[in-house]
Amino acid sequence: MAAKGQREDGRGPLDYRAISVNKGFAPNAEGSCLASIGKSKVLAGIKFDVMAPFADRPTEGVVMVNAEFSPMAHPEFRAGPPDAQSIELARVVDRGLRSAKIVDTENMLLMEGKVQGIFIDLYVLDHDGNLIDTAALAAMGALQDSKVPKFEDGKIVRGSNSGNLKLNDAVVCTSFEKIGKNIMVDATDAEEIASSGRLSLSTANGDLICSSQKSGAAGFSKDEYMQMIDWSFEKRKELLSKLG
Amino acid sequence: MKELVFPGDKVADTPQRIPGCYVEDGQTFASNVALRSDDHIVQLKGYYVPKTGDDIIGIVEEERFSGYNLALNSPYGSSLSARDTRDELKLGDAVYCKILAVNEVKEAVLIEPQKLPTGSMLAIDSVKVPRVIGRNGSMLDTLSKFTGSHITIGKNGIVHVEGGNTSLALKAVEKICRESHTSGLTERITQMLENESRANGGQGEQNG
Amino acid sequence: MAGKVNKMVEKADLFKNGKRIDGRTPMDLRPLKITAGVLDRAQGSCLVEWGRNKVIAAVYGPHEVLPKHLADPTKAIINARYVMAPFSGQEEHGRSGPNRRSIEISKVAKHVFENAVLVEQFPKTMIDVHMEVLQSDGGTRVAGITAGAVALADAGIPLRDMPVGLSAGKIGETLVLDLDKYEDNLGDSDMPFVILPRTGEILLSQMDGMLSREDISQAFDMIFEGAKKVRDKQIEALKTSYERMAAQVTTQGETNQ
Repeated sequence: MAAKGQREDGRGPLDYRAISVNKGFAPNAEGSCLASIGKSKVLAGIKFDVMAPFADRPTEGVVMVNAEFSPMAHPEFRAGPPDAQSIELARVVDRGLRSAKIVDTENMLLMEGKVQGIFIDLYVLDHDGNLIDTAALAAMGALQDSKVPKFEDGKIVRGSNSGNLKLNDAVVCTSFEKIGKNIMVDATDAEEIASSGRLSLSTANGDLICSSQKSGAAGFSKDEYMQMIDWSFEKRKELLSKLG
Repeated sequence: MKELVFPGDKVADTPQRIPGCYVEDGQTFASNVALRSDDHIVQLKGYYVPKTGDDIIGIVEEERFSGYNLALNSPYGSSLSARDTRDELKLGDAVYCKILAVNEVKEAVLIEPQKLPTGSMLAIDSVKVPRVIGRNGSMLDTLSKFTGSHITIGKNGIVHVEGGNTSLALKAVEKICRESHTSGLTERITQMLENESRANGGQGEQNG
Repeated sequence: MAGKVNKMVEKADLFKNGKRIDGRTPMDLRPLKITAGVLDRAQGSCLVEWGRNKVIAAVYGPHEVLPKHLADPTKAIINARYVMAPFSGQEEHGRSGPNRRSIEISKVAKHVFENAVLVEQFPKTMIDVHMEVLQSDGGTRVAGITAGAVALADAGIPLRDMPVGLSAGKIGETLVLDLDKYEDNLGDSDMPFVILPRTGEILLSQMDGMLSREDISQAFDMIFEGAKKVRDKQIEALKTSYERMAAQVTTQGETNQ
């Protein structure tokens, strides 16, 4: 069905399902956001902490993204250490945020050997396809929701609030799936099973690509690739409007 | 004129079934490194995949209630029903068989088993089998003549050698495989067999 | 090649007067040497020496799938494994075995080989492609996949075409090919790609940095052009390995006399 360019739910190839963004869902976290696209749901939670900087960037803060595919999200997900799929998702979201310098890591030095760390945990709660876009949206929403705690003498003061986290711009991600010769956005779980390959493109600053990830066996031609870039800029506007 | 072709090289503008090649969009391309001469293409390395009608040598690797599983020097296994077997087979026995059928996951069903006597064996790349046999069996005749060995070869690349100078026979087979893609091979093999069998005091020496 | 580069490099040094830090022009690749058949036991193998990178690849299979339930009755499954040796970097001793980065790279490398190998010829089997980075200097994943492709051809595994890996990047406003470690760390973008030269299909695309549509379009054109050189070296490696076998004939002939 999808191979003929028709979709089970009647959507056009470039239509997203219903998108919702619910910031502040888990208020004990310094920032949180439950994002859903169609029936897929990802909760992002953010915690701040004090940590040692990376050796090659001794004055910069650290942002870490981790993804948990909860066994409640899909009958085939199992509890246990992260597998290749969840690592890929976390790293794709991470590269988008990092490339676009969404968080100003250069202003997170506390004292020599101590910097602010921002831990972004992505909890996949319900999986009906397109987890990367959903997770990227949740991560961005949670960053926008984040209140920076106070830091005193190189220690974090839990529960304190020194104001909103300052962000440069916003990153969103649009994933394209190739089924037969057709390319479509926002695939459901069933469409992903039929798909032979995916390209995820993260966008920032209106018309810049800040990360790409090709996955699955299918190849894309340059023409297809350039077409997807144009579509990702179009879809960016829609996703940003949902982030508010 | 011989030349090498490499995966992705176009070998024909029309769709053709050639070992080591594949067809895409009505054209034929090489999928393997292969030696192309005027009229044919020979791949340098390959893997045996069972085909109906092939005469093969299998090695008994498992005994089941209803028959045997035989290893074929292949990613795929095979089975031989006890009903079709007169001899009692043991693990490790070499059996010359015909492939009756191949199922959807490429496992072979074997018939007409002939248990081979205890001897020496060598597994070679199945793409080299035609070279070891030679045109109309000429290479095989040469090997038998100089070594006095009885040599059986399965299409799957298992070589069974019994009687005569088995070690010389196996050494010659290895040399054929190593040098299969070079010219003047028959002469070199004959030369080697002549020299070695003379050094060993003539043909028919029993050391197997 | 030069020995260890110990001097501190600043971003401003990366591109000056049309030349890169090691004297290359934007389109120049680092010296590339590919050798096929470097290991005895593996069915196919390849060493890629690319700039100061040394990456070795080995192929086993097709063989029975373990664990068995992973077997696919329609095709061979690819088990791709990219790892970096703990001594491969200029920094401290790394941790052995796979980490998050190498697990991700193994995954995208697997997708590349799933496309290039004629997997439907070997249903219910598994083909292993091991890629080990012995020394790293930027661009190890594309070097690893380039090596893996040659190792597969060397093993006699049927391929639609040999995948070619090459990275493009951006230093300031200049697009360049084949970034070394300094250009990767200090430059503005790194775009590793793997393509199939015959069809121009893009099998791997990852990137960081901020790139416009025009940047990416131009990067593709550069990649397709540069990939020809890499493909030539892959072919040369397989040809040399064949000639080496053919040359052994005479020496063995002599020792047999």
